[in-house]
Amino acid sequence: MSPAEISQAIQDTTFFTGLRESGLPYPIVLSTHLTCIAVFGGLILMSDLRLLGIAMKNVPVSEILLRSRPWKRLGFVIMVTCGILLAGSKFASYYDNPYFQIKMCLLALVGVHAIVFHRSVYANPERLDNFKVMPRAAKAAACVSLVLWLGILSMGRWIAYFERPGDHPRRAVPVASSPR
Amino acid sequence: MLQFHYDPTTNPLNNDEWSFPLFECIHIAMFAMSIGTIAIVDFRLLGLAFRRESPAELLKATSLWTLIGLIVVITSGLVIWTTDPVAYYYNPAFRYKCIALVGAIIYNYTIHRKTILSNPSVFAGALVGGVSLLLWISIVFAGLFYAFI
Repeated sequence: MSPAEISQAIQDTTFFTGLRESGLPYPIVLSTHLTCIAVFGGLILMSDLRLLGIAMKNVPVSEILLRSRPWKRLGFVIMVTCGILLAGSKFASYYDNPYFQIKMCLLALVGVHAIVFHRSVYANPERLDNFKVMPRAAKAAACVSLVLWLGILSMGRWIAYFERPGDHPRRAVPVASSPR
Repeated sequence: MLQFHYDPTTNPLNNDEWSFPLFECIHIAMFAMSIGTIAIVDFRLLGLAFRRESPAELLKATSLWTLIGLIVVITSGLVIWTTDPVAYYYNPAFRYKCIALVGAIIYNYTIHRKTILSNPSVFAGALVGGVSLLLWISIVFAGLFYAFI
């Protein structure tokens, strides 16, 4: 089977067909995906800005990193679950979408980021509480995290705007809604 | 019928491949900042995280970022709205979003803020934080739902 056929088969399963053609569940899953960006993505953003030493300076770094960690993990699980549901239900048009592919690569790099900065930053954040100016490793971890997550967010949005050769332009005339 | 002497087809956002999604990305990143910072305080009010800090300390730490986020998210939202203002105007999810947004901002800078600064009881704090969180999440949902109704 070719990748196109496998993707089509995934999309054509009863479950994903039902989700794609459902009236309410699909937008609910999509909204939940975005809500996770708002609530838990916000936690990542503020953790990174704290590591850079530019936000929430009256709260210890360890407090922000350690206390938000279980919530970030929960948010990540919900976000990825919703993402799998959304991508699976339209997988035939997603698997070869370059923006989707870049998004998946960036997600993999988030895992690499966690491994690379584990010892120097994330494993022992109490150590960072003693620094008046954040060490380079902490700032580097925050910058890389910001770039990766903003990239993931942007590529996620751009998936909807990919046009294959021969496709009609999506926004030649105004429409009230952005592409789904 | 609402009358507009404005032709959305002349809007640069409708004539450029990159600008519309770019403004959407800015909108999403900045609602993550504004709602995310409000959620940090709400999580504390609900007793779910950051319990070593007082809600007032967290409010002080996040309020500037909430404000920056709100200013940019509303500005980028208005830019997106100009791409087809009449269609947005008649969309019930958009109308809910506008009303809820005004309500949420007023709530955030009155009841929410005053409760936090007055060292609330656990119940009052949880109630105010819970309402805040639900209100902001409903705005995100409305933002997505106007593409579907």
